[in-house]
Amino acid sequence: MADVAGPASAHPQAKAAVHSCRVAAVRHYGPFACVTVVGPQLAAAAEPGQFVMIQVPDSRFLLRRPLSIFAVRDDEVTFLIEARGAGSARLTGTRAGDILSVQGPLGNGFPLAGVRRALLIGGGIGVAPLQFLADRLAAAGVGVTAAFGFRDARQARLAAAFHIEHLWLATEDGSAGRRGTVIDLVGAIGAAKNTVLFACGPDAMLAAVQRWAAERSLRGHASLEAHMACGTGSCHGCVVPTTSGYQRVCAEGPVLPLQEIVYE
Amino acid sequence: MSKAPDLRVMLGPIELRHPVIDASGTFDVLEATARYERDFLTDFPFAAYVPKTVTREPRPGNPPPRVAETPSGMINAIGLANPGVAAALADLPRLAPLRAPVIVSVGGTTVEDYVAVVDAYEAALAAAAAGAAPNVVGYELNVSCPNVRSGCLSIGTDAHETEQLVAAVRPRTRRFLVTKLTPNVTDVVAIGRAALAAGSDGLSLINTLKAMVLDPATLTPLLGNRTGGLCGPAIKPLALRMVSELAEALDAPIIGMGGVISGRDVLEFIACGATAVAVGAANFTAIDAPDRIVAELRAEMRQRGLAKLSEVRGRALDRRPPAVTGS
Repeated sequence: MADVAGPASAHPQAKAAVHSCRVAAVRHYGPFACVTVVGPQLAAAAEPGQFVMIQVPDSRFLLRRPLSIFAVRDDEVTFLIEARGAGSARLTGTRAGDILSVQGPLGNGFPLAGVRRALLIGGGIGVAPLQFLADRLAAAGVGVTAAFGFRDARQARLAAAFHIEHLWLATEDGSAGRRGTVIDLVGAIGAAKNTVLFACGPDAMLAAVQRWAAERSLRGHASLEAHMACGTGSCHGCVVPTTSGYQRVCAEGPVLPLQEIVYE
Repeated sequence: MSKAPDLRVMLGPIELRHPVIDASGTFDVLEATARYERDFLTDFPFAAYVPKTVTREPRPGNPPPRVAETPSGMINAIGLANPGVAAALADLPRLAPLRAPVIVSVGGTTVEDYVAVVDAYEAALAAAAAGAAPNVVGYELNVSCPNVRSGCLSIGTDAHETEQLVAAVRPRTRRFLVTKLTPNVTDVVAIGRAALAAGSDGLSLINTLKAMVLDPATLTPLLGNRTGGLCGPAIKPLALRMVSELAEALDAPIIGMGGVISGRDVLEFIACGATAVAVGAANFTAIDAPDRIVAELRAEMRQRGLAKLSEVRGRALDRRPPAVTGS
């Protein structure tokens, strides 16, 4: 089976730029919105796991918001946004035809070389980078299974935005999919020895995935989020503790080896 | 139509092609060039480069979260995270292609720390082969970081300690020496006067205002350091007031900063007596923010019929300062 080309392979990563992108479509799924923009250069440059810094189209908001790249189709790039604060709420209110300032692609992306079987684990808005990843893996013939955890059926409506053949769902209240956490779900699904885990979600979920993977000697990668200011590696504002000290989510990440992240 | 306005300024002996420089820690030219298509080293938007503060030893910085947005601004508590002076000096050759003069920002907790960093730079620059280092024209002594537990801010809030620090560093270098002042004091003029008396060539201000934000869910401090430094447009009026107080009382070139996000903001700081103006938080709003700000400044000058920035410098002051800044 062919390895998947990606940032971990030798091919040089395309660089970031400032893109002025027209919004082509906005779809709402419960508290989430999928915002699709036209950005040919961005679409050509992006790798799964990378992110962009997007300007909230309202001068009350100073800082850009970091957003994972959810999907790339031809000239279009889609971002997944959860209305959490005033800034992200404004972004979910974007309409077709609006112009957004998008800086990117940024960050390292998922290392894909040598992956033959993948288990994608997402919690809440953490599912955001996993469609693009699944697309790239599937195109290379990698067997992909995804396990998503949501709080309730309203959040779980987001699953409808995904096109992954083997996608399993859990909700904490049991109102959609299996009752329980995403860890209960992956425990039920299981993982063969050579499976590589790709996880993104809240800290508590990632810590649990880390333990679950360690117990089974499974290799994995986590995509992290953090309060971010520059997104460029300048300000050192977005660090997370790792086994080799603080690492910048925007520069050394957002994808780090699962076992290197330090959870208290 | 009048001819194109002249944006050049003289910061002491340093000629700047325009007055806009970066505030330390808000723009890393090597990081930006590594990630963006644009080569910021050869297409540098600022008139001078002030890198992130360097300390004698590596500093991991404060626990996260370190940044948060606030109304019309942001708060940060990075904690002078940096790899230390040895690592900074190892990077000097990579900065050699930079098409702008460099003002090295120096931090520490004791007077000896600051002296050690300046000595290390002087030795490295003296030993560097031609073309193997950038054009380091000066140092900015950061005595105003609100986010480290000892030294630094405690030096910058005390006139006597500031004077002792500057007096210790002054004989170690012939380069331009700037002291970066904190707004977290009752009388900024007293601190600035002490720095100048000890041999500082210029002053820069303001560093951030010590502040706090809460996590709305838990009603406990959001930042890992509990407190942080407030910056962005919210602090501009306070910065203008402090810059003007210094310019009215003291005779030295001033680098004004605090919430600059537009060309008009730059003009306002110059009207308050600044010679150069630093852009900080705005660098986080867009990677090309400094280009926009300089373009806006040029347009503002043309619109107002200004040929040179000296025509407005000090206009907002009670008394115009002596012409210390040329241009």
